[in-house]
Amino acid sequence: MRRLIPVAILVLLPVTLLAPADRGRPGVRPLVGLALFLLLAGFPGVVLAEKDALEARVHSLAAELRCPVCQNLSVADSPSEMARQMRDLIRERLRQGERPEAVKAYFVERYGEWILLLPPPRGFPLLAWIAPFLGLVGGLAGSFLLLRRWVKRSPGTAPEVDPAYLARVRRDMEERKNG
Amino acid sequence: MATVGHWSLLLGLGLSLYGMLAAWLGARRESPAGAASARAAVVGLFLLVTIGMAILEWALLTDDFGLRYVALNSSRGTPILYKISALWGALEGSLLLWEWLLAGFAVVVVLLYRARHPDLLPYVIVVLLAVSAFFLGLMAFFSSPFEQMSPIPADGRGLNPLLENPGMAFHPPTLYLGYVGFTIPYAFAMAGLLRGKLDADWIGSTRRWTVTAWYFLSMGILFGAWWSYRVLGWGGYWAWDPVENASLLPWLTGTAFLHSVMIQERRGMFKVWNLSLIILTFALTLFGTFLTRSGILSSVHAFAGSPAIGTSFLAFIALVLLVSFGLVAIRSDRLKAPVELDSMLSRESAFVLNNVILLAATFSVFFGTVYPLLSEALRGVKASVGAPFFTLVNFPILVVLLLLMGVGPLIAWRRASPDNLKRNFLLPALGALAAGLLIIVFGYRDPRVVLILILSAFVLGTMTLDLSRGVRARRTTDGGTLPALRSLMARNRRRYGGFIVHLGVVVLFVGIAGSAGYGRQLEQTLTPGETLELGHYRVRFEGLSAAEASSHFRVTGAFTLFNDTHQVARLETAKLYYPRDQQPMAEVAIRSTWREDFYLVMTDFARDGTSATVKAMVNPLVGWIWWGGGIITVGTLYALLPNRRRKPAQPRGTR
Repeated sequence: MRRLIPVAILVLLPVTLLAPADRGRPGVRPLVGLALFLLLAGFPGVVLAEKDALEARVHSLAAELRCPVCQNLSVADSPSEMARQMRDLIRERLRQGERPEAVKAYFVERYGEWILLLPPPRGFPLLAWIAPFLGLVGGLAGSFLLLRRWVKRSPGTAPEVDPAYLARVRRDMEERKNG
Repeated sequence: MATVGHWSLLLGLGLSLYGMLAAWLGARRESPAGAASARAAVVGLFLLVTIGMAILEWALLTDDFGLRYVALNSSRGTPILYKISALWGALEGSLLLWEWLLAGFAVVVVLLYRARHPDLLPYVIVVLLAVSAFFLGLMAFFSSPFEQMSPIPADGRGLNPLLENPGMAFHPPTLYLGYVGFTIPYAFAMAGLLRGKLDADWIGSTRRWTVTAWYFLSMGILFGAWWSYRVLGWGGYWAWDPVENASLLPWLTGTAFLHSVMIQERRGMFKVWNLSLIILTFALTLFGTFLTRSGILSSVHAFAGSPAIGTSFLAFIALVLLVSFGLVAIRSDRLKAPVELDSMLSRESAFVLNNVILLAATFSVFFGTVYPLLSEALRGVKASVGAPFFTLVNFPILVVLLLLMGVGPLIAWRRASPDNLKRNFLLPALGALAAGLLIIVFGYRDPRVVLILILSAFVLGTMTLDLSRGVRARRTTDGGTLPALRSLMARNRRRYGGFIVHLGVVVLFVGIAGSAGYGRQLEQTLTPGETLELGHYRVRFEGLSAAEASSHFRVTGAFTLFNDTHQVARLETAKLYYPRDQQPMAEVAIRSTWREDFYLVMTDFARDGTSATVKAMVNPLVGWIWWGGGIITVGTLYALLPNRRRKPAQPRGTR
């Protein structure tokens, strides 16, 4: 029975979206359709359960370290033997109560800064963090100022529509509706 | 044969240079003879490069190991499909493929636009042939696919086993179609600048090229992701590898271009901006090739490169940027357009914001990609920038982009009145919030995923609202809801094709959000008969077997997958040992359903067959990413079809 629900939603979705809305309350149907869509999107979320806390910490730390023998994979993702040993090492150290920062520092000492997939937020590597931020903020500020200047420059009104033309459009539309 | 191939490249180079000259003279003196001769040169070039392609492909198919390229990238045991695809399996061949596509496109351009743009075409030819000359020069002097080898080896080294996959057979050509496709709008833009006639004509005439190029680039990227997911065995589809990033960069600027040209068409503004975007996009396609081929960054894609190739690429990119932006500067007096804007709240502003956001993404991805180079050059420290950085930096950008996808298509041009805003966005916003509550109730807690889903709902809501309004207005005349929808969409295929593409992008983002936020994994060593449990799955290890295949030795682990209640599938995952590679390759087993993938890969095994170590993953919603790609395909095709013509209206009254 539970398996049928998504199928039913899939079938119902387009129908509800396109069905005529009540005259008094335009757009109620799309709302229903939307809610149904998200039911659909939310459905798989039910599967989840909590992760083992230690495994989760191992994973998130390993995800920030680069696998030394692979092409650009993290220790968490890499299927290589080396990465597995590193994961075991991380697990062991975390289990002994070592702080994640200390574990990271251990790897940096052995392999250099290269091992970190996230540049540390101090010194020169801080640049890697600031630059994209500056790019975004600069772009936004610049375009905001530019837009404001253009708005100021413009006369500010949309061109007037000729009333006679408007009347003709209305008449044509009426005719179309009736014909 | 090799000599013929080499000469076809040299002749092609000569013909490119001659064609440039002829086209230029033809355009300047406005002599039809020069232009005609240049057109003939384009066709001749295509024939010559085709001969080169045919020779290389023939050599691959007939195991002619006298050619160095064949010896290094193919072998007698290589299956036919991969003998064919070995053509783009390494540097020299992929350059040849690129050049061949470029020459082919140039022929199509000549045929299509000869009558329509007789004055512009010679300049277009100049630009296209200049690019072609660069690639031919590169092959002729630095990395010829026709280099010979002696003594002739008895067998070839074989294709890189990672590339022996259908995804890899399609990924490079698709990507190249995208890359090369963007050369065409670029060439038209430059042609307009060279000629000095700078209306929006070039945008209109190249719209289909741009859309097509964008499409192939998108699909190329998706094929790559698909390959990565199925072949690399790490359970993900996007590693923020430098070369993946390099393909994303022109996609981002190309997407920006695709949107911002609409302002120029409609309002005549942003001429310089649009020119800059297409120049940037073209330069970034070259940059992508440069990164792949030069090997300056470590990457799954890095071919053994030679420094000469890298230097030539850098020089060419610099030249392209210098000449292109120089031209823009020279013509800047003619590019001034009366920019006027009625309100900060308008479709125009939404487009501007879209562009700013996409370019910010471009910049951050670019910066993250080259940061290791910077770090090494400036302070001599090797550094890495990886997936956690890119996801962190790009997440806010993605959020704004999604929001704009909802707002952009509906907000009024010129000035959006409060009433207009309320009419268009109140309901979708409320709906999205309600949906958000629902999502939380359903168990999604990760705030980032919830945000993306809420915004996706908002985008869907706005599109639905717009469509249902249009349908309601037409229903009586068209006789029913579905005919009304069909005729509404057919009237403006560009707009509604865009809607479908947006829908595909939303589905894709939902897939990314689900798989990034809620993936689960477990690694365990199993003895035969033992079971691993992950979520509502159980997987039982049945045993190991070994076999010798034509090009490799394989060790296969057999598993049975159970659901809560019953047996679902038999899965086989293997480790493949290729003689040319130290590291074995993993062959993964994937069981896909619409809501999640069960992904199994064997990471290790005991030689006596008593145990196997496997990594099991549950990746939610990954399928949605590929379906998103499918929807994008449909939308693109729809947008490319010509609009349905209205019946000619009866002349009525006077003007």
